[in-house]
Amino acid sequence: MTYSNRLSQEAERSLLERLRSREEAALGELYDQLAPWVLGLARRILDDPAEADEVLSDVFEQIWEHIDRHDARRGALAPWVLSIARTRALDALRRRRRWWRKAERWGEAHLAEDGGPLSPPDPGEAGVPGWPVHQEVHAALATLPEEQRRVVVLAYFEGLTHSEIARRTDQPLGTVKTRLRIAQAKLAEGLKHLKDWRR
Amino acid sequence: MTDWLGMTPRPVAPRAELRAAVLARARGARRRPRWAVVRLAAAVLLIVAGGWWAGVSLRRLGGRVRALETRLAAAQDTMRLLRGPGTRVVQVPVRTAGRLGSVTLFADTAAGRWYVACENLAANRPDEAYQLWFATDGGMVTAALMPMDRSEPMWMALGIPAGVARVTGAAMSIEPRRGSPSPTGPMLFRLNL
Repeated sequence: MTYSNRLSQEAERSLLERLRSREEAALGELYDQLAPWVLGLARRILDDPAEADEVLSDVFEQIWEHIDRHDARRGALAPWVLSIARTRALDALRRRRRWWRKAERWGEAHLAEDGGPLSPPDPGEAGVPGWPVHQEVHAALATLPEEQRRVVVLAYFEGLTHSEIARRTDQPLGTVKTRLRIAQAKLAEGLKHLKDWRR
Repeated sequence: MTDWLGMTPRPVAPRAELRAAVLARARGARRRPRWAVVRLAAAVLLIVAGGWWAGVSLRRLGGRVRALETRLAAAQDTMRLLRGPGTRVVQVPVRTAGRLGSVTLFADTAAGRWYVACENLAANRPDEAYQLWFATDGGMVTAALMPMDRSEPMWMALGIPAGVARVTGAAMSIEPRRGSPSPTGPMLFRLNL
């Protein structure tokens, strides 16, 4: 993909400043740009629309409360927001106390979705800010060998620890750690050029 | 994990009505009291209350320790008196209100100190009290006034008053509640040492 039509990092800095100065319209703009991704991630983890909506609400409440904790030097806004979303969604998943059962049921079902061929966008989907980044991340994940992709998915989307992944995949703990380390290095290399999520 | 992985799942367009609700809740959260502040205030309150309680407890404990030290010192003093080589022990049977009790005297005449133990004495009438006397060369000198509202064992250490040259004996009588300068009531016992 190309980033020639992407908004500059300057625009993100401006949005951040407006958020920090408590400009409510800026929160609305951020919502318009990132809510679909937050909701997509929350639904991916929780597989429950109502719970995902609740996570979405929690995430934007946390952003508004703690926007001053975002350090622009350490990365763009989108990954920071998505990390909050992931944490909140995994918290909700664990609260259910049946996450093992759900993980067992969904782990296999979503494996192809997370790294398989990307189906064409639904109408309107390609217009969502960040869609090109989504395509790139998806493609980067798809380049991983299946065994590496599997441990990445279990760690990121199911929130499993290394030991839990080892038990789930029936692999030695050392193998899991090695696969994760290699996968992380490949993803970091493949996605290092990403600085912004907007187009 | 790589930061951008959160964009792997497909985006999901939120329901239109969700936007206003989410933003309103986020903005409202800013106006709610911050839990961190509430927790901090609660912690400070807890620490202050804990400090106050600890101070009060320490003062109480200090008072109890001092009281116990006093009682221990008294007990040790009593033990020294009881073990003293010059101490004489005399037990006197006493009948009060039809019951048989006793008064035991541990008298160290050399040091001028007495220890008195009363057992099974009847309770006094409301306007009366037991009074113990030293018998001296100059007559009876009051040793102790012992009003007893209930029949219960009683112990006391006595010192011979200044100015009394020699104690020759002891006596106990029933006197008015406030005591008498000299025996006036029924004499329960009188003995010479």
